[in-house]
Amino acid sequence: MTEATIAVLHDVVATLVTWQLAAPAATLAAIGLPALLGRPLAERTTTRLVGAGFTAGFLAALLTLAALAARGFSAEVVHLGTLFSVGHHAATIELVADGLSVPYVCFSTGLCWLVNAFAGKYLHREPGFTRFFILLTLFGTGMNLMVLAGSIDVLFAGWEFLGISSTLLIGFFHERRNAVGAALRAFITYRLCDMGLLIAGVVVHHAVGSGDFERLFRGTWPDAVCLVDPTTALIVALLLVFAALGKSAQVPFSGWLPQAMEGPTPSSAIFYGALSIHAGAYVLLRCEAVLDAAPVAGWLLVAIGIGTALHAAVVGSVQTDLKSMLAYASMTQAGIILAEIGLGLRIVPLVHVVSHAILRSLQILRSPSALHDRHELAAALGGPPGAATFSILRLLPDRFGRCLYRIALERGFEDAAVQRFVIRPVLALLEGAQAAETRLVELAGGADAEPRRTDRDGGAT
Amino acid sequence: MTPPEAIMLGCVSLCIAAPLVAAAAVRLLGERISPRLPAATAIGVSLAAACGLAAVWHSTAGRPFLFGPRLAGGGLVHVDGLTALLLPYVAIVDLAIVLVAPRRALATAGVSRLLIGAAITMATMTTAHPAALVVLWGVSILSTWLAVRSTLGGRPAARLYGLAMTAALACMALGTALMLADPPWIGGCGSVGATGGWLVAIAVMIRKGIVPFHSWYPALFSGASLATALVVTMPQVATYTAVRLLVGHADGVATELIVVSQAALVTAAYGAALAVVQRSARGLVGTLAMSQSAMVLAGLSGTLPMELCGALAVWVSSGLALTGIGLVVWALESRAGRIPIDFLQGRFADAPALAAFFLLFGLASLGFPGTLSFVADDLIISGSLDEQLHAGILVIVATMFAGIAVIRGWFHVFGGPGTPDAPQHVILPRERVALSILLAILIGLGLYPGPFVASLERVAASLLAVREHHLPSPSPEGVPP
Repeated sequence: MTEATIAVLHDVVATLVTWQLAAPAATLAAIGLPALLGRPLAERTTTRLVGAGFTAGFLAALLTLAALAARGFSAEVVHLGTLFSVGHHAATIELVADGLSVPYVCFSTGLCWLVNAFAGKYLHREPGFTRFFILLTLFGTGMNLMVLAGSIDVLFAGWEFLGISSTLLIGFFHERRNAVGAALRAFITYRLCDMGLLIAGVVVHHAVGSGDFERLFRGTWPDAVCLVDPTTALIVALLLVFAALGKSAQVPFSGWLPQAMEGPTPSSAIFYGALSIHAGAYVLLRCEAVLDAAPVAGWLLVAIGIGTALHAAVVGSVQTDLKSMLAYASMTQAGIILAEIGLGLRIVPLVHVVSHAILRSLQILRSPSALHDRHELAAALGGPPGAATFSILRLLPDRFGRCLYRIALERGFEDAAVQRFVIRPVLALLEGAQAAETRLVELAGGADAEPRRTDRDGGAT
Repeated sequence: MTPPEAIMLGCVSLCIAAPLVAAAAVRLLGERISPRLPAATAIGVSLAAACGLAAVWHSTAGRPFLFGPRLAGGGLVHVDGLTALLLPYVAIVDLAIVLVAPRRALATAGVSRLLIGAAITMATMTTAHPAALVVLWGVSILSTWLAVRSTLGGRPAARLYGLAMTAALACMALGTALMLADPPWIGGCGSVGATGGWLVAIAVMIRKGIVPFHSWYPALFSGASLATALVVTMPQVATYTAVRLLVGHADGVATELIVVSQAALVTAAYGAALAVVQRSARGLVGTLAMSQSAMVLAGLSGTLPMELCGALAVWVSSGLALTGIGLVVWALESRAGRIPIDFLQGRFADAPALAAFFLLFGLASLGFPGTLSFVADDLIISGSLDEQLHAGILVIVATMFAGIAVIRGWFHVFGGPGTPDAPQHVILPRERVALSILLAILIGLGLYPGPFVASLERVAASLLAVREHHLPSPSPEGVPP
């Protein structure tokens, strides 16, 4: 291949990669701005626009894949510019098109398109119809940003998009108390674990002078080599693992996932069956060279992944509603995937992610029709289908099985432990501080001689 | 005086005079016209003049412009990068408040106080003369105290505010006098100058609501009208004073600055943590404002350009975003009374547009990508970690708590079962315009921050240059080189 051809291919890839980001982002603006101005688009227009955005993104990703194939899947780094710079600190918008990112964009954009098609019918005349699609396109934009990120800054930006869209979709039915509680629980977990990625970003900036992955590791995925010293690699790897635990619902941060099924079915499918739950795995795959340079972090990941898989398999086997069962099934697979990554495998977890995401999102999308499906199956078979349930508990001796059953019913006491040892003490501390503040203000300000106004406050000064 | 300097002087005069003239006009005309029109026009003129001043300053190679009597390196009229940044910011905040204010809040007395308050703030932001700063502190404290006192149910807050501000003003006046008598920035100064430095630092901490002098800050949001609370707190006059009197003379007051910055860091984390357990929307805005403004002070005490840039960016981004949240809360309160957030209020169905604005301003205040606060947080966190590890960690913890508090607040105000027969709270066009302007600035500067950050870098460089060159001369009439 001549140099001129290589240059042309680079330009083509750069344009296509930009399109993969710009298409969902433009859709977000096209449906979000009219809604903000009080004139939301009609349902059909909304779904068509969103569909067109994801289609454009998908086609751009497919074409990028073809262009990359022509170059033997060597990585193409696309520099879109510098957002801002102060002294030696520069926030660059760097994207990377390689054998990991582009197929993943094809897969994620395709799934988003399918969910858009499903949700257009499923949420017909729902009061939050436009809101759902705004959040879906926000998620799609964030997902592509995170997957194509060529620097930890861009990755963090995409990661944040995922977090907020996930939170708002869990609380989509905001009039339900459970939905609001579940959304807050998920957001608190995200926010806590996001600190890992944020600090990792700062550490990377310190270590290599920029957030670009090119300076953190070199080579084509999955054979990249880490460029930082082992200590820095260990710190960054541990922080990345911490960040991944929250998004991928791993023990001890897994309690939010079953509650997250409070959201609409299409969003549950794409978030907790397919893409969001694997965001942590993707980040670890992207930074696999750092994990390779920090075996301790890898072993920690294996331990947590296997622990979560066992926990979720046991707890999931006693769930009585379909969505909770599917949530725990997702958690089990996410745990196994993280363990695979920790073991140093690269292609296996990637295939596992894609296959699990497709299967699980199909199951979640069909879950509202499960009874209908069963009746149809029964009619076709001429009788009820046989019980084909398998439970890990049945393999154990009776006494031990019963004990484990009780533990499983309590979801492994994980929620209770987090509540007792983390949430309650922190809240008690803060409530105590607030009470002390209030007493101090009352002491210094004295009693109010006038009746406290509780009616409308015009704020007259 | 060169033509650009004459233009800058004209802009400064216009910035201050326009609200004062409008206040007088409103008083004279009484109920004959809606006070909103002259108030908005006057603040609009101030905004245009402030933008003009910023443009001229940036076109003049960033040299400070001093006019009138000078003392300790500060001119009566003192225009530099900080002024060029803050004047438009203050005018935008005031304009948004005037546009969103409910009709009954714009009674003649109320709007006059608001306009006079705006003029005082702008006058403060254009001077570095220590005596002028002390006088302006006194006038603004008195004006605010009267405003809070006249608010129904605001007496306890006024009492607390009065106590705190009396102490702050006394410390400020005495400290400034001692610093001028025995300048600590001159080598070999005695205990008098050092005491002065400490007193000014304490004054700044009280007026900023820095731990342990912070209790009046959330109380002001609970007791005063939201207009008063926002006008008083969002410009961050105490931070400005700290820059002029402490940061500018950092070599002489290094220990004081360290204490102030460490206390500010603790306040940033503590305020954000307290915001998580607030029981009212006003308490939420108050504690968040306390936390974010403390972060600005902590960042400005740093010595790295990146940290200073981050602090200046947080100053503007958090100020605009929290003003937006405060105005949404005010708009809701004017329709349905005070908003508790210890249980779900279910206001989404009644006020979907206000819910959207609350959420967007909330995201814009917590470092969401695509908003100015993302840039600000990136700079301040990286800068803080560059300088001190624990500072960076505290900033990150503060950001985490603030995020949780904002989202909790949003869900608690708008989530939950609504009242079936509740009236629809349709957003008014002037409210939509004001909130959209604030949002457009936050998102516009977030998506295309390059020129803004470059201008912040120049401001930071000028602040660091003042520090490095040890500007004040031995004589009280010292002029910066």
